[in-house]
Amino acid sequence: MAVTLGTLRGSLARARTAAWLGWQVEGNWADPVLFAIYVLARPLATALILAAMYGAVRGAPAGAPAAGGSGSGAPAAVFVGFYVANAFHAYVNTVLVGLGWTVFEEREEYETLKYVYASPVGMFTYLAGRSLVKFALATISMLATLLVGWFLLGVRWDWAYVQWLPLTVAIVAGLASTLFLGFLLAGWSLVLTRAAMVVLEGATLASYLLCGVIFPIDLLPFPVRWVALGLPFTWWYEALRRFLAGHGTPGLMQGFTDAQVLLWLGVTTVSFALLARWGYFAFDREARRLGRLDQTTLF
Amino acid sequence: MQPAIARRPRHTGARLFVQATLARTYVRIVGSLREPTWMLSDAIFPNLGMCAFVLLYRALGAPRAYEALAVIGGVLTTYWINVVWGMGAQLYWEKQQGQLQLYFAAPCSRLAILSGMALGGLAATMLRSLVGVAIGLWVFHIQVAPFSPWVLAGVFALTMVALYALGMTLASLFLLYGREAWHTANAMQEPVYFLSGLYFPIRTLGAVGSVAAGVLPLTLGTDALRQVLLGPTAQGLLPLGQEAIALAGFGALFLWLAGRAMAYLEALSKREGRLTQRWQ
Repeated sequence: MAVTLGTLRGSLARARTAAWLGWQVEGNWADPVLFAIYVLARPLATALILAAMYGAVRGAPAGAPAAGGSGSGAPAAVFVGFYVANAFHAYVNTVLVGLGWTVFEEREEYETLKYVYASPVGMFTYLAGRSLVKFALATISMLATLLVGWFLLGVRWDWAYVQWLPLTVAIVAGLASTLFLGFLLAGWSLVLTRAAMVVLEGATLASYLLCGVIFPIDLLPFPVRWVALGLPFTWWYEALRRFLAGHGTPGLMQGFTDAQVLLWLGVTTVSFALLARWGYFAFDREARRLGRLDQTTLF
Repeated sequence: MQPAIARRPRHTGARLFVQATLARTYVRIVGSLREPTWMLSDAIFPNLGMCAFVLLYRALGAPRAYEALAVIGGVLTTYWINVVWGMGAQLYWEKQQGQLQLYFAAPCSRLAILSGMALGGLAATMLRSLVGVAIGLWVFHIQVAPFSPWVLAGVFALTMVALYALGMTLASLFLLYGREAWHTANAMQEPVYFLSGLYFPIRTLGAVGSVAAGVLPLTLGTDALRQVLLGPTAQGLLPLGQEAIALAGFGALFLWLAGRAMAYLEALSKREGRLTQRWQ
C-alpha cells in the first residue's frame, strides 16, 4: 500500500513538474496580458465569424434555401447549439491536437525530445503534465467564447432546461476522449517526421468538419456520416447541445434519445481509450525502432 | 594563356535584381513541389474550413448566394495562409534552419529575394486554390453571375500584388522576432478572416467592416472579387472601381514599406544580435 501511495505521489509530482515546465514553454515568451490575447484571438474570432454568418442570414432577404437546409431563418436555439459546440471544440484544438504539437516541437524545433526520454519524468508523464496546461488554456478559451456569446452576441439558453447530471457525465466523457485521442495523435507524431505538421493541422480542420460542430451531420455525404457517428466528439457535442443548451440537433440525431446519446458517447469514448492506449505504446516502440526520437527533418 | 575557368560577367543593378528574383522564384516553386504532404495540406486544408462554413449556411437555411460568398472567401484563405506562413514567417523558418545569414551574405537586394518568394508562392498557391474552386463548382454547385474575364484578372492581380506586398512587409517584421513570429502568424488567421468578412458579406460588420477595409487589403480584395463574380448579390462595400484604386494604392504602399522595413529591421537585428539567434 505504501509503495502504491508512494508511486502515486511520485507520478503526481512528476506531472506537476511537467505542467510547470509546459507553462514555461508555452507562456514565457510574452507577458500574461499579451499571452491571453494570443490564446483568445483565434477562438473568439471563430465565434465572431459564426455570429456574423448567423446575423447575415437573419438579415438576408427571403431567398431559395439550399438543399438540405432547414428553411429561411433557422431557429435561434439551433444556432445556440452550434455556438456551444464550437466553444467546447477548443478542447479538441488545444488538448487533442496540442499534444501532437508538443512532440513535434520537442523533436523538430527545440531538439529536446531525446532528453525528455532520458529524464526520470518519462515521456508519458511529461505529456500528461503538458496536457494539464493545455486543458487550462482550453477552459479559458471555452469560457471566454461562451461569455462573449452570452453578453455581447446574445447567444443564450434557458438555465431551467440544463440537465446537470447528464451534462457533467458528458463533459467528463468528452474531456477523457480528448485526452485519450491526444495521446494517440502524440504517439503518431513520434513516428512521423515533418509530415506530423500536416497531420496535426489536418486533424484540427478535419475534426471541425467531421464531428458536425457547426452543422448537422446529415449534411455530410453518406459514408462520411458514418465516420462522424463513430467519433466520440459527435456524440459529445450532441450531448452538450441537449443537456446545456436544451436543444438537440435537427435531423438524424433527433432519432436518438438522451440516454442513447450518452450511451454512444460512453461506448465511443471507451473504444477510443483502448485504441489510444494500445496505439500510443505501439507508436512509441515503432519510433524507437526507426530511430525517430532524435531525428530532426524540418528546421 | 587562357584561365582554367572562364570568368563570368558580374551582374549588378536591375539585371541582378531580376536574376535573384527568378532564382528565388524557382527555389520556391521546386521546394513547394518536393514535399507531397505540404502540397496536400496547402490544397485541401484551407477548404475544409470553407466546407464547414458552407454547410452551416445550409443548416441555417441561407440563400444560395451566401454559399458562393463563403466559397470565394475560402479560396482566398489559401492565398492568405501562403502570405502569412510562406511570406511573413518565411524568414523565421530560415532563421530556425540556420540559413538566414546566407540571405544577408548574398550580393543581391533583399527585396529581390522577397519578390522571388512572392512570385513563387503565388504561382504555387494558384494551382492549389483551384481545388477550392473545384469544390465550390462541383461539390457545392455554386453559381456565379456573368462576368468579364479581363476584369476578373485585373482585380485578382491587384489583390495579389497588395497581399504579397503586405507579406513582404510582414517578412521584414518577423525578421526581428522569434517565437512571437509563430504566435503572430497564428493570430493572423481567424481574426483576419473575421475582419475581412471571408465567410459573410463584409457589410454585416457595419463600421468595423469599413475600418477593416481601410487597413486590410484582403477585405477589399475579397469584396471586389465577389462583386465581379456574384454581381449585386455580393452586397459590395464600395463601387468596384474605387476598390480597385484602393487595392492599387495598398500594393504601392506595402511595396514601399517592405523596402523601408527590411533595411531598418535588418540593421536592428544585426545590432541586437538576433539575426542568427535560434529558439528565442
